[in-house]
Amino acid sequence: MSTQEFQVNYEKKGLPSTWLRNGLIFLVLGIGLSAAAYFIEPQRALINGVVAYMFVFGCGIASLFLIALEYIVGAVWSVPFRRISEFLAALLFIAPVLALPAFFNFHQVFHWSAPEAASDAILKAKAPYLNVSFFVIRFIGIFIISWLFYFFIIRNSRKQDVSREQFLTKRNITLSGAFIPVFAILISIMSLDWLMSLEPHWFSTIFCVYYFAGSLLAAIAALTFIVVSLNERGYLIKGLTEDHYYSLGGLMFAFTNFWAYIAFSQFLLIWYANLPEENFWFINRMNDTWSYISVGLIVLKFVMPYALLASQPSKMNPGRLKLAAFWILGAQYYDLFWLAIPNYYKTGPALHWTDFGFPLLAIGVIMTVFCIVARGKNLVPIGDPKLKRSMDFHL
Amino acid sequence: MSIDYSLEPSIIEGKPGLASIDSTIAAPMETRPNKNFYMALSVTLTMLGIGAVCLGYSFYYGMGLWGNNNPVGWGFDIVNFVFWIGIGHAGTLISAILFLFRQKWRTGISRFAEGMTIFAVMTAGIFPLIHVGRPWLDGYLMPYPNQHGLWVNFTSPLVWDVFAVSTYFIVSAIFWYIGLIPDLATLRDRTVDKIRKTIYSIFSLGWRHSNRHWHHYEMSYIILAGFATPLVLSVHTIVSFDFAVSILPGWHSTIFPPYFVAGAVFSGFAMVQNALIFVRKIFNYEHIITLDTLEKMNKIMIATGSMVGYAYAMEFFIAWYSGSPLETFVFVNRAFGDYAWAYWIMVSCNVIFPQLFWFKKIRRSIPLMFVVGVFVNIGMWFERFVIVVTSLSRDFLPSSWAYYKPTLYDIGILIGSFGLFFSLLLIFTRTLPVVSIAEVKAVSDGAQPTHHAGGSHAE
Amino acid sequence: MQNKVLYSVTGIFQTPDSIKHAAKSIADAGYKRYDINTPYPVHGIPKAMGMTISKLGYFTLVFGLSGIALALGFTWIITNIIYPLVQGGKPFFALPPFIPITFEVTVLLSSCGTVIIMLLLYFKFPNNSHPLHDTNYMKKVSSDKYGAYIMADDPNFDQSKVRSLLESLGAIDIEDIYYDEETVSLRPKVFEPKFLGFLLVAILITAGATYFTLNKLLFMPPFDWMSFQSRVNAQSLSTFFPDKHGMRMPPSGTIARGFMPFPYEGDPDKAGKMLVNPMTNTQENIEQGRKQYDIFCSPCHDWHGTGNSRLRGQFPNPPSLHSQKVRNWSDGMIYYIITMGQNTMPSYAYQVSREDRWAIILYVRTLQRAMNAKPEDIK
Repeated sequence: MSTQEFQVNYEKKGLPSTWLRNGLIFLVLGIGLSAAAYFIEPQRALINGVVAYMFVFGCGIASLFLIALEYIVGAVWSVPFRRISEFLAALLFIAPVLALPAFFNFHQVFHWSAPEAASDAILKAKAPYLNVSFFVIRFIGIFIISWLFYFFIIRNSRKQDVSREQFLTKRNITLSGAFIPVFAILISIMSLDWLMSLEPHWFSTIFCVYYFAGSLLAAIAALTFIVVSLNERGYLIKGLTEDHYYSLGGLMFAFTNFWAYIAFSQFLLIWYANLPEENFWFINRMNDTWSYISVGLIVLKFVMPYALLASQPSKMNPGRLKLAAFWILGAQYYDLFWLAIPNYYKTGPALHWTDFGFPLLAIGVIMTVFCIVARGKNLVPIGDPKLKRSMDFHL
Repeated sequence: MSIDYSLEPSIIEGKPGLASIDSTIAAPMETRPNKNFYMALSVTLTMLGIGAVCLGYSFYYGMGLWGNNNPVGWGFDIVNFVFWIGIGHAGTLISAILFLFRQKWRTGISRFAEGMTIFAVMTAGIFPLIHVGRPWLDGYLMPYPNQHGLWVNFTSPLVWDVFAVSTYFIVSAIFWYIGLIPDLATLRDRTVDKIRKTIYSIFSLGWRHSNRHWHHYEMSYIILAGFATPLVLSVHTIVSFDFAVSILPGWHSTIFPPYFVAGAVFSGFAMVQNALIFVRKIFNYEHIITLDTLEKMNKIMIATGSMVGYAYAMEFFIAWYSGSPLETFVFVNRAFGDYAWAYWIMVSCNVIFPQLFWFKKIRRSIPLMFVVGVFVNIGMWFERFVIVVTSLSRDFLPSSWAYYKPTLYDIGILIGSFGLFFSLLLIFTRTLPVVSIAEVKAVSDGAQPTHHAGGSHAE
Repeated sequence: MQNKVLYSVTGIFQTPDSIKHAAKSIADAGYKRYDINTPYPVHGIPKAMGMTISKLGYFTLVFGLSGIALALGFTWIITNIIYPLVQGGKPFFALPPFIPITFEVTVLLSSCGTVIIMLLLYFKFPNNSHPLHDTNYMKKVSSDKYGAYIMADDPNFDQSKVRSLLESLGAIDIEDIYYDEETVSLRPKVFEPKFLGFLLVAILITAGATYFTLNKLLFMPPFDWMSFQSRVNAQSLSTFFPDKHGMRMPPSGTIARGFMPFPYEGDPDKAGKMLVNPMTNTQENIEQGRKQYDIFCSPCHDWHGTGNSRLRGQFPNPPSLHSQKVRNWSDGMIYYIITMGQNTMPSYAYQVSREDRWAIILYVRTLQRAMNAKPEDIK
């Protein structure tokens, strides 16, 4: 059977109008609350801004990674959902805006750049890496490289909607092969610069993998949430089966476990060796009310998603999938919050009311960007040669 | 050559009939082995004999025969242990993780790889047992109420190893056996030999290919795969904990768990690929274990090899970034110290050579991929050597620094471990189906109902 | 065929599509006691047969949870109650280091449990005397054909109706399967006395072997405070060294700790010239010399060195130590005589240590001076 005989059962529709409206409401609320936070608790707001930035950046670049992964492993089932990930990858363009406040208050966020750091022997040794100009170069470099990959991969994918040419798939496979190693380096540098260096004395070799696991989880969760919501209302291609849902649920389940594995490895090794140069990072998170937040992280990011997704039927149940996806997105934000804030607020109440504006901001950004990028475009890569196979997909 | 992405690639080439799949796979069990087989077996048994003699001497005279000495108390024995456990990981990865990812190309190689897992774990299990020095007291590794009122230290990763490796062995064996049941039933119904039939009947437990059974069977396979996947990760993670929970620079690194797992899968795939190249040729399985399958294995090797490379780089960078002089020293010493030769063998074999697999020509060339596979195994063995030996030989007390040299007994035992592994593997190829008959049938062309006729679309 | 009972009517199908269709049709026709046999799992058949998702997972859950409870409980009791021991400054029981073991035990129990439950309860295995075994039907579905059969104990079973149903579905090789009630039993084999007996024997053997291994093979004597040691005692025989001596001969030229060479044997004059008393003339040293003199010398030389001792008559009296000759001897000469002996006096080298000999000389000098006191000494 050749491609021509296969009829794509997809009717192009604009996104539900409420989506953009809701996204804008979230965005405005988020901007309002976070702006208020900047005036009331400037230091805390800045760090919260970093959290929101890393959340959005992680979602975006991990979505691009998902696309590349689909190409490189020749995955078939995920083809109808690729477009959604492509829209989410556009978050890479808005992410730098979220990072701007930190740049304008650089010393307050990155203590290693403050003048007092010059007298710190450890930081002096790290200065060849942790210095402002190299930091900015890395930041700009990461975005330019990821934008380039985004541009080429997405352009090929969109072209295929019309031309249906197979060589575009081949070209994207090559691009994906090049992107994946680059991605590993980019996300490592970003997580090192923007999360690990918030506590500049601390170090952990697994930290970048930890951030990668969380971000990929968030990208899959966002994808699942959008796919299930759209498919329920018939915006996607007809004929998606439970097996497609099962695969999405399975991926979320798998990466929830993967995250837990990475997190446990990091914790156990530092806890066990108990070396003063590393253990203070966890001790900060076991002090005061932070201990509750830390236990909460295990429950929110591992126990709950695990329980939600463990059984086979639950991975095919749209309601359960949406709940789990939303939950995981929230947990990822919570995780990043847990990574960043305790570096600055070691004692005292762990939560502050100004913290809550920023997740709203992040969600608002994601929804708005998604709706704007997706406007007027096919929500399914209708020209992809693997689409027919994807519709025949069964476990 | 351009690929048509709209077509489902065939897993099994040449559209063989289901009955011919039976006879192809059953052939090694129904024919007598030729001279080459006995020659190969005698070589591996000789190697095993060398190992047994060296081990016998070691038991009789004690561990002083080995190169282990202060400060390098962990030498070849632990290196070999980690190496062999790592070899085992490919089998579970293929049979469990790729199963969960619905990678159908795994069907042709899963049984063989699972067999290799079991033999590799058996081989690996020897080393910690002999390394305790008095192997007749190994029973004390088990936590049981003994007459001394002594208990094992449950917080020790070495005890976790006992749990992990034995669990891994048992679960792999169950997984293997469950997969064998339908095949043994098929063999039972094929054979005319009375003795064979009795044996097959006993071990196939009376399997009738009933769909009321297949239904639960498939569920159990998913459940087992679901457990084997975290299990395989946990085993090498715990092996890495043996090193990483310590405070020795070069051992204490948080990336060790995923890095060890990636390395294990890497070396395991290289070993499976090497062995499969012979198996598919000798038993004419070239249409079942296709070149595409080997190419996919090579792709996994480049992925895991790059992960290992990432870990090397990250360790090196963080050693500098940490600002800890001890860490920095250890890593500089690894790359430029006494053991620099081992380090650079490791880097070139593990990170540089596999990069050749970026080229499709090399990925699909049997001799070249074989050579790279051998290099990978050499490199992964040296990786464990570098980790174990360099860190220990330069510990905190410079007055006790020493250069570790293995003795002939160490090398003999290493040779013996290869002999044991390959002897078991050779016997396996002649006694059990090295390719899963039922699974291969299920993925051959035309074996499944056409989708449109069935109308399986939901919603 | 008189004592043979009809088990089922079987039909062979050629393609996966036809068997899937057949499964659905047989289910739709209202049969309950039927089965489909395929050499490999064919997609969609469980659905066509109207089977719901396997409940096997619930058993796994139960086994898994009991694995967690078992492992955590076991390690907790041992590390907290039975054998509390500080390891690396960690609490007796902190969760993180016990997670790996808990995980392994959970996986082990749930995997083994699932498989055993499936084989024993769901499949009722092992069962090698099923009516279908060794039939042509079995040989075909085991290899490359697809089969369906409807059992005789189905409430709707009617041999001719079933045959025509299978025929209409496109089955070939329709065959009746009979079985011998005496040799082939349909009851689950797991609860047969023979099997249970076998199980009992297996349990007994396992228990016995475990007992033997743990208590006999691995038996180590309880701690004996090192009364028995595998060392070599002094002066004893040893099979280890070629010369059979338990003690080693020191290499030639070895000097014992504290040993001083005495190279003056047979040359008292030289000794008198070369040796100098290393001890100073203090109250303490003289007191030490007095004690030793009283013990070793006084029996012959008398308490004061006169030679008129309590052994007189039994031994030849030694000359007085107060003669001019002795008084003129150097310390070294006296030392030589104590060490080597003179006339009937034996060597005292083994009885009196070197230091004591010098101390004795100090005391003798004191005696000599006391017995020959000059007027100026009185001061």
